[in-house]
Amino acid sequence: MPMNYAYHPGNVAHSSAQEVDDTVFPAAKTLGINLIPLEGATSCGAGIIRQANRRLQLTLNARTFAMAEELGLEIVTPCATTAGTLFEDLTTLRSNPNLLAEVNNVLMETCGKTFTGETEVRHLLHVIVEEVGLDKLSASVKNPIGFSVAGHYGPNIQRKGACGNDDVFQPNYLERVINALGGNPVSLSYRTQSVGVPSLLSEESTALKQAAAVLSEAKNEGAEMLVSICTLSHAVLDVYQVKAGKISGENTSLPVIHFTEMLAFSMGHFNTRLAQLKTRVSVIGN
Amino acid sequence: MTDDVVSFLSDGDRSLHILFGSQSGNSEDLAVKFGKRAKSYGLESTVHDMDGFDIASLASMSRVLVICSTWGEGEQPDNAEELWNAANGDGAPSLSNTHFSVCALGDTSYELFCESGKEWDKRFEELGGTRLVDRVDCDVDYDAPSAIWTESVLAHMAAVDGNGTFQPELVESIIAEMEGSGESSVEGDDGFVIPVLESPEIQVKVRVFRYDPQSDERGHDEWACVLNGNISVLEVLRSIKSTEDGSLTFRDGSLHDPTTVICANGRPILPGITRIDSVISSNSDSNFLNLEPIVIGEVIRDLVTDLTISDIRRASTKPWFRGATRDGAKVRDAVIGTMSSDDAKKVHMVRDMISTVLVDSFSDTVPYNEAYISPSNVLSSWSRIIDPRVSKTSLTENLDLLSSDVGIKAETDLSSISRHGEMGETVADYMLDAKTRVLRNGAFQDGRHGKYVWWYTWSVKMSGKVNDTTIYRQVLGPLGLVGNLFSGVTARMVLGFTRTGGKMFNGLLGMVAPPAGVGKMPKQFNTPVLNHHEVVAIFNEVDGGF
Repeated sequence: MPMNYAYHPGNVAHSSAQEVDDTVFPAAKTLGINLIPLEGATSCGAGIIRQANRRLQLTLNARTFAMAEELGLEIVTPCATTAGTLFEDLTTLRSNPNLLAEVNNVLMETCGKTFTGETEVRHLLHVIVEEVGLDKLSASVKNPIGFSVAGHYGPNIQRKGACGNDDVFQPNYLERVINALGGNPVSLSYRTQSVGVPSLLSEESTALKQAAAVLSEAKNEGAEMLVSICTLSHAVLDVYQVKAGKISGENTSLPVIHFTEMLAFSMGHFNTRLAQLKTRVSVIGN
Repeated sequence: MTDDVVSFLSDGDRSLHILFGSQSGNSEDLAVKFGKRAKSYGLESTVHDMDGFDIASLASMSRVLVICSTWGEGEQPDNAEELWNAANGDGAPSLSNTHFSVCALGDTSYELFCESGKEWDKRFEELGGTRLVDRVDCDVDYDAPSAIWTESVLAHMAAVDGNGTFQPELVESIIAEMEGSGESSVEGDDGFVIPVLESPEIQVKVRVFRYDPQSDERGHDEWACVLNGNISVLEVLRSIKSTEDGSLTFRDGSLHDPTTVICANGRPILPGITRIDSVISSNSDSNFLNLEPIVIGEVIRDLVTDLTISDIRRASTKPWFRGATRDGAKVRDAVIGTMSSDDAKKVHMVRDMISTVLVDSFSDTVPYNEAYISPSNVLSSWSRIIDPRVSKTSLTENLDLLSSDVGIKAETDLSSISRHGEMGETVADYMLDAKTRVLRNGAFQDGRHGKYVWWYTWSVKMSGKVNDTTIYRQVLGPLGLVGNLFSGVTARMVLGFTRTGGKMFNGLLGMVAPPAGVGKMPKQFNTPVLNHHEVVAIFNEVDGGF
């Protein structure tokens, strides 16, 4: 029996992180996870909309929760920022009945929906470790990763209640997945550190120093590649890594891919992309 | 109890004198509670109101506890004023035979925190008294720290023999006897039975960061320990230092000493009030406890971090209160500005930080931006802004500070703070309030961050999705985009170094209107989400400004 989840793609899988959109569906299908897209779901706000108006972000996300409840499903997403933001807003609404009632009034007036608080939000990483199981994951591997891979979680889902049964401050789910996929996990002390996504364009220097710290630690610890579980952090660690190296003076040159790419490649999807990744690893990965 | 300890605890003078200086009654309540608890340690307690207490009688007392609150801006409470003057007068006795300890009550929202207790602590020492246990400074939530202090101080006082001589070697025995005395509970104030908490022993590998500045060597030392789960991290460090390695360096102090912050398994903690069973992690082999210095300053040695930068940051923010008027409620020696209880509660909650160092160490930004004033100073400044008594000048200065490049906008990611439990959530919540106020004051046009928030939100209204192209163009402007062109950012997106073999063109737009839609460059326009009109309706209902 496939496991059904309401799928939220995160904030940039439709634009600058299309590789996530490409790889998440085949990887999930291989593992028996049926992702049902929430076609009407908005951006989660990424903690940015709430800087303008806290109630606005809560209401937009309540609409997303209501859609998942209509399907009778939990929400799953491959983006740590989205998982963390949705979790936080879900918790806020659940813990404050008056607020929930007010938000529901707006939802009813504008969308004809209400939200009870019964859905859950989970990151795909936690579904794989806790529901699919690492044995089944290992059994699905056709192309073992074979590299030394460092994992980056970021801070958004590393909070009590949002990271499943993983440790908030010393997580190891991603390292266990890397191991199950045939890779050699490299555990970073900076694996839960922010890379400054919400302020990338305004506080670029600080954000890139944060990103450089993660990349250079991975490099120094012998990782040949870094994998991120966040579509937004992935973009910073990947696209901005040359600039991060220049600002920090650190060696930041390292292939960075998203978690769903690593899953899909190891399961035999997109073999040409895996070949290109191996080339990148051999050129700049060490 | 063993016969030896029983005999010791019942021999000779067993009197314990507890003096309270109290304005609102809290110190008095504590004194009575401590007095009851003292019986369990074989002590015969007498509680004294400082008002009317004869200073000369202190000289004959071998065990004295002082519990004193602070009133207003660092003043003695009313009932302590006379005794305080006497203690500082010519008739003050020598306390060479007196063993003492002080419990100070205060409020961190005042500049002079626990000042009265500190003064008594210092004065007893000056008069020749012997401090058996370091003073504890309690904030308004004083139950937990005062309770922990009580158990320690009563064990020490109990180890003063019937002739008034302290027998330090007996303290551990008394503590052990009390823990193993079979007492399953203690009697609470209202007849409640409060269970004595016990915790099983845990095998744990304690791994401690070491740094020797002379040789510039860094590394870790590891000890395999069997520890009771309810002992504090600070006690573990003290134990290692006293029994294993005397060179181990860490900040020691009272349980709530705000400067003692270290990292335990990745989380910043106050080691004096953190039980090891609340922070240890486990892997397949064992339990482990990694202790590291916090990263808000340079490491001086082992777990000690230079906190000078925190002082510099704080000093730069002019944190003191400046009122709009000198009018207010008249108290005995001063005039204090008034506000409603709701306002007072809000102001107090914002300033209610158990340790500014701890709060600052939550932030992932602080180690990378020395100019940033840090979360604790953001909150301090925010508390002045929401204080209805503040002067216009102070209000303007604090708003300007928070709006500046080193203010709230410098914090790159509040989620790095909010994940640190209840305290982290509270701190991030108030920082978000401050950020929204600052951004709205500048109409979202005051600097890049305001534009970023505006255009992010606006683009979500337009389609339900984030439009990266719009945000980049509007926030960075032409110069910023050219900068990205030369820094490698645009090249990496367009040329597809990072696409891992993905599509070169993301739709027709990529061919007719490059660079949008080429490589990883996002498209100019998003297809709207299903039922997009609902999104627009929510925006119009909740915030018509967008």
